[in-house]
This record gives sequence, C-alpha cells and structure tokens, in this order.
Amino acid sequence: MKNLLWLQGGACGGNTLSFLNAESPDILEFFEAYSVKLLWHPSLSLESGNKVKEILNEIVNGKIHLDVLVFEGTVVLGPNGTGKYNLFAGKPMKDWVREIANIADYVVAVGDCASFGGVPASTPNPSESVGLQFRNKEFGGFLGREYRSRKGLPVINVSGCPAHPEWIMTTLSMILKGKINEDSLDEYNRLKIIYSTTTQFGCPRNIYFSYKVGLKEFGHKEGCLYFNLGCKGSFTRSPCNLILWNNQSSKTRVGTPCFGCTEFDFPTFNFFKTEKNKAELPKQLPLGVSRGSYTMLSAIARSAAPNFLLRPLVKKEEKVDWID
Amino acid sequence: MTNITISPFNRVEGDLDVEVKYEKNKVVDVKFISRLFRGLEIILRNKDPWDALVITPRVCGICGGSHLYSSASALDMIYNAEVPKNAVKIRNVLAMAETCQNDIRHTYLMFLIDSTNRLYEKYEFYPEILKRWTPLVGSSYKEAIRWSKKYTEIYAIFGGQWPHGSAIIPGGVTTDPYPNEINKALGILKNITSNYLEKVILGGDLDQFLNTVKSVKDLDQWSEDFPESDLGKIWRFGNELGWHKLGFGSGIMLSYGHFPKDEYVKEVDREKDLIFRAGIYIVNKGELVRFDQKNIMEFINKSYYKYTKGDTIGLHPFEGETNPNMSGDKGKYTLTKCFRYNLNGELITPEVGALAMLTVGQNPLILDIVNKLGPSVLARVIARIVRVSIYHKLIEDELEAFEFGKPTYKKPNEEKEGKGYGLVEAPRGALGHWISVKDGKIYNYQMVTPTEINMGPEDPSNNKSHVAKALIGTEVVDVSNPVEVYHIIRSHDACMVCNVH
Repeated sequence: MKNLLWLQGGACGGNTLSFLNAESPDILEFFEAYSVKLLWHPSLSLESGNKVKEILNEIVNGKIHLDVLVFEGTVVLGPNGTGKYNLFAGKPMKDWVREIANIADYVVAVGDCASFGGVPASTPNPSESVGLQFRNKEFGGFLGREYRSRKGLPVINVSGCPAHPEWIMTTLSMILKGKINEDSLDEYNRLKIIYSTTTQFGCPRNIYFSYKVGLKEFGHKEGCLYFNLGCKGSFTRSPCNLILWNNQSSKTRVGTPCFGCTEFDFPTFNFFKTEKNKAELPKQLPLGVSRGSYTMLSAIARSAAPNFLLRPLVKKEEKVDWID
Repeated sequence: MTNITISPFNRVEGDLDVEVKYEKNKVVDVKFISRLFRGLEIILRNKDPWDALVITPRVCGICGGSHLYSSASALDMIYNAEVPKNAVKIRNVLAMAETCQNDIRHTYLMFLIDSTNRLYEKYEFYPEILKRWTPLVGSSYKEAIRWSKKYTEIYAIFGGQWPHGSAIIPGGVTTDPYPNEINKALGILKNITSNYLEKVILGGDLDQFLNTVKSVKDLDQWSEDFPESDLGKIWRFGNELGWHKLGFGSGIMLSYGHFPKDEYVKEVDREKDLIFRAGIYIVNKGELVRFDQKNIMEFINKSYYKYTKGDTIGLHPFEGETNPNMSGDKGKYTLTKCFRYNLNGELITPEVGALAMLTVGQNPLILDIVNKLGPSVLARVIARIVRVSIYHKLIEDELEAFEFGKPTYKKPNEEKEGKGYGLVEAPRGALGHWISVKDGKIYNYQMVTPTEINMGPEDPSNNKSHVAKALIGTEVVDVSNPVEVYHIIRSHDACMVCNVH
C-alpha cells in the first residue's frame, strides 16, 4: 500500500472537486488500482478533531510512512508572517506543511494556488500567500529553492485553476509507479507531457486565429477570442482543448476566453479585453512569435481569409457586426 | 461543564473549529471558529468589474457557478443589461446542474457517512447502513461518486468546464449552443434520471414522485412502496434514529428566490418573475413575509475585522467593509462576519439552504414536513433530495425551451459608475454579491454567503445565529463522540471557503 495524505491551505476546494470528476478510472478505481491508502482528506474522510491530529502526528513522528503529500491551496503566511489566517488542527497550516514535507517521499502541489500562489496571492495578497516552491515564476515559495522531498525531487506541480482530473491522476500515477524524474518535468516542475502544448492546440477557433478573423462580442461560435476578447490560449501552456473538461468541452469551445490559469502569473486580470498597442495589435503575442514576423503574418493571413469565415456559419443575419 | 473543541471539523468545504460547551450531556453553548482568510473582496478592489467573473467563482470549488451567477447579475443591474430568454435558460441550467452535483455529493460524501458512526451499532439496520453509506466502499457512496460528476458534464457543455467556468457574463452567456449540444445535455440528464435518480435514490418513477408525494403521509407511503430506495431508507432510519427531532434552530426560513422565468432588463421581481420566489417563512406562525435586500446587515463585534465607524454597528453590504484585524480586541474569535436581517425592527437570525428555499417556494411536501415535524436534520436531507428531483424536471424544461437561432447574449453598455446586487440560491442557500463601481473599476465588492447566515457569530445583543440555536439544548449520547453535533452542523451543508472568502 502507498500512503497518501491530502491537505488544503488557502484553497477553495476546487481541485478536490475536480479530482472527484475523474472518469476511467474514477477516484475509487484509481485508489484501488494503485493500492493507495488515503490517510486523510478534508472532504472525503470520516475522521474529525483529535483523531486527525493523531494521524498527522504519527506521520510527522515517522510512525506512519508517508509516500505522497498532496497539497491544495496556497501556504498562508499572514498576518505578518504568523500564519494565523490559516490555522489547522491547532496550529498554522504552514507549520504542518513544513513538518510533513520534511518526511514525505513525494510532495505534489495540485492547482495554481499550491504551485504558484494563484488567486489568493494576487495583488495586494491580503493573506500573504505563496505557493509551495514558487511565488509566481520565482523559486520564492514556502519550501524554498533547494527543497527536495525524500526521493530527491522538488515539489511536483500540477498547475491549473483547477487542475484537470486527468492531469492530477497522470502525475500521481507516474509518481506511484516510480516513473517520474527531473527529466519528466518542465522549468516549473510540471509534467512535460501535460504542459508542453498551448491551450490553442485543438481549439475549434484555431482556423479563425490562423486567418486573423476576430470575434468582437461574446455569444457566437465564430471567430477567435484572442484579438479583442482577452483570450490567452495562444500563450498559455495547457492541454485544455486536447484533454477536454468533464469529457465535454473547454472554455474557448463555449466562447469564454482562456484566462491563462495554468501559468505562473495567473491571475493577470483584465480577462475579457485584449490589450493592444498603438498599431492595434495585441500586446501579448503567441508563444515564441516575434513582433516583426507576427505583423507580417497578420497582414498576409487576413487578406487570405476565406469568405465563409467572415460570415456566420449557420445563422442567417442581416448585418453581422460581430465578426472583426 | 465540559468544554470540547473539535479541531478540525471536516467535511465542511474548508477549515472549521467547533467549540462546544456541555452540561452533562447537554449542549449549552457553541462557537464556530472559521480558520481561513484569503481576502478576495480586497483583491477585487480597483479591478475591472468583469474580472469578478473570474475571481468570484474561485471563492468556492463546489458552488463557484453560483458566485458567477451572482456576480453577473449584479453587473447586469449596473449596466442595465437586457438578458435574452435563451441566456436566462442557459444560466438556469448551469446553476441547477451545479446544485444537483452539490446536493448528491453533500448528501453522500459529507452527511450520510456519519450514519456509519459506532453509536448506531445497536440498531438492527446498522449493517444495511454500512452496506450503503460507508465512505469509499458503500454501494450508494460509490454510486454517488459515479453519478454526481455527470451533472458537471451538463455544466461543461454550456459552461466550458466545471469547476470554475466563467460562461455567465453581463448581458447573457458566452456560449451559443447548437441543437446537438442541447440534445446531448438532455441525453445525459435522462441517463442520470433513469439509471441513478430513479434506481438508487427514489426507487421509483420521477414523475410519479413529483406528482404524488406531497405530504408526510405520502412520503411514508412512498417509503413503504419503495423500501429499497435510499430515500425510503433515509426517511425510515432517520425517523428511528431521531433525526426528525434534531436541530430545529431559529425556525425562520429565508430564501432570496431563484431562476428568472423569462428575459429581463436589469433585475426581476423576486416575488413574481422567479421560478422559486423570495421571502421569509416564520415556521411557528405559518406566515410568509416579503424579503427586501435593503434590510440585510453585517456585524463584526465578534469577528476579526474593523469597521471605520466602530465595531458595534451593522452595515448594509453596499456600505460593507473588509478590514481584517486579528490583534487585540477581546471577545473576537472568528473570521466570519455576522449576518442579520431587520424584520420590522427586529434583527432575525434565519436559516438558509435547500429546506428554506423549498419552504419559502411553497413546495407542498417540504412545507408539510416543516409544519408537522419541524425544520429538522432529517427535513434538510429530504429537502436536498426533493430539490434534485425538481431540478431534473426544470433542467429538461429549460433546455426544451431553448430556441436555436435566437441570441444568447446582448452586449450591454458598460456604465462607469453604479451599484448592483445579484441574489441567487446557491446550493447551500441564499447568496448575494453587492458591487459598487466607480471610474469603471470595482470600488467595493461584498459577498454575503449562506454559511455566514447560518453559522455566523453573535450580534451585539448576543443573539446566536441559526445553527448555534439548533445545537444549544441538544442532548448527546456520548460527548466524546457527539454524532448529534456532526449531524446538525453537516445537515446545513456548511461551506467554510464561502463563509470566509
């Protein structure tokens, strides 16, 4: 059996709920298939009160071997470094995290908060929140740059607000099989196989992006959301349009812009509007594209746009002022 | 006198400590101490008002869609948005799908597993409880894991993802579904109805349940006719275990009402134009009175906050302040504010949640249960099952009423100044967001959540909130294993991450 402990810090519980959405395997099948013993989980376990303290203390004392610590939410340091904004089982959660991270074989940060600080850590960061090993893109997280778990690895991040259940399970399953090493991880200590593509991979609006046909208002299937409506899908690394959400969809598929919630700098705010420069081009360009080549490409692509992309696909409308 | 602190008190979506005082075996006092502060209202200051649509769902992982609905409705009001009928339908489907997911998960994953407590070993039906409701292995527990996520598929078809989609925006929704998507959602719903709701929970036909079970007597009959259903078992075991006598509380039911019926501009008449009306129901008088959001106020005399005009006054959310302060001030003990409603000069301490929503909404079965037996732990559990059943029909109706080709969004004028509120029935009860916008930025953002209403601390007159009232006076069998306390608190589907945000 492998022992797994799941704790929540400055969290909304969204990653737990996302994990519960897992299908094939679902969470119960997953625990069985990987012989996982769930030592305790804030929403799934029977035990309350002193019994929980007992379990935690036995882990800290080494009476119970901890294979994997999963942490959801930020590490809360406020107010004034005391951690009193997040007390758990009699003391600041940050103290439990430190003690338990010291003896865990592996530590996994599930979600953007635990990975980078996420929403609670955004300006002005009222709770003095940080991620487990990162604060945004810097190694300024709670456990510090040098931290390594007992098996010699840094905190393994599964970013996303929330993380998709399949990303969580893939990461956990590789850990439980002992198949994860530093080479499996990207510069933010995330599994490369999950975080190497951008949200745009598989987005049905990609053809509109290619020909620079933008959407000007919400509520339509046509047009790309990047040019006016704030979509960050072309520079956000996630497989949201490859591994669909809830077996069904993704934000961009339902006309909601990508907010960049798998990235270290989420939340960047101003989510529904694209910031543009004087030449009316988006300030933030697709991943790896230079401004010169983007400007050139845009002009050519737009002039080559096929006619059917400039009209509604299905609906009959007299005037169409929502396609750019 | 014995003083026992339960820390942590889990299965309440977040961090809670409960301090209970007993005289012998009787609860004589209780304090709910919330243990997590993130400061999302502070983060929202000076941001673009639309950013609230991304930030507020992240208050809560289990009911983020309700926060989104509140946020967008408040902005609708500020922008004088015209919300097309199709958008209303999709918004309603999103909210109902999320709530069904919540109600199933809460019932089985949070509440019912306490029935496996060793205190109940002596009952002859204890093996049956273990078989069904034991965490991770019970037959119905497993079914809840398997089926609750299906509702999130319906959500994702229109909302992109669950949790934390942001498809509801001022003026409508971002999505523009084709008929195949409507059909798929209907197909998933039908699948849940036939293979889960009717098989495991109700034991019989959904329409028959909704059309024939309208009183306590009918529910007794249903439980006899379908004894193998979870509903039948919960009703029978619950009565034998005394859950129908447990945790009455304030006896005042508050609902903000929910689900506009048709397109609207700015806001709707909460008594006429909603599928579930708003109001306040006084149980012992059988009286339904009008609700007006103007009468809401929040106190902080026991909470770790400062008000600029002194800590004993109450503030309406439009004037609300969030200035955390954990130092000094004796007597302060929690991060939750205290909600009160001014009913003709009296500060009342209502109950909110599925039970309150359906009581105020005049559901005949729930009204009969409340009027005959009282607003108990058992009534709350039953109310959640009834609500899921009603929502199954309503989701179908709303989807059938969707007219492809008509708009799902009408772009509003983004007013640079204004105030608006958005009121909804979140899974665990009345939820409101109050937003002030100045110079095109958020000037003040206040969220008042259902768990705050149910479980806030005392007001300046030392009046307890509803769940504290429900606990005080309760006789527990074993103070070292106070399952009665667990039942009362968890029957309210507490959500600590909403409570303090």
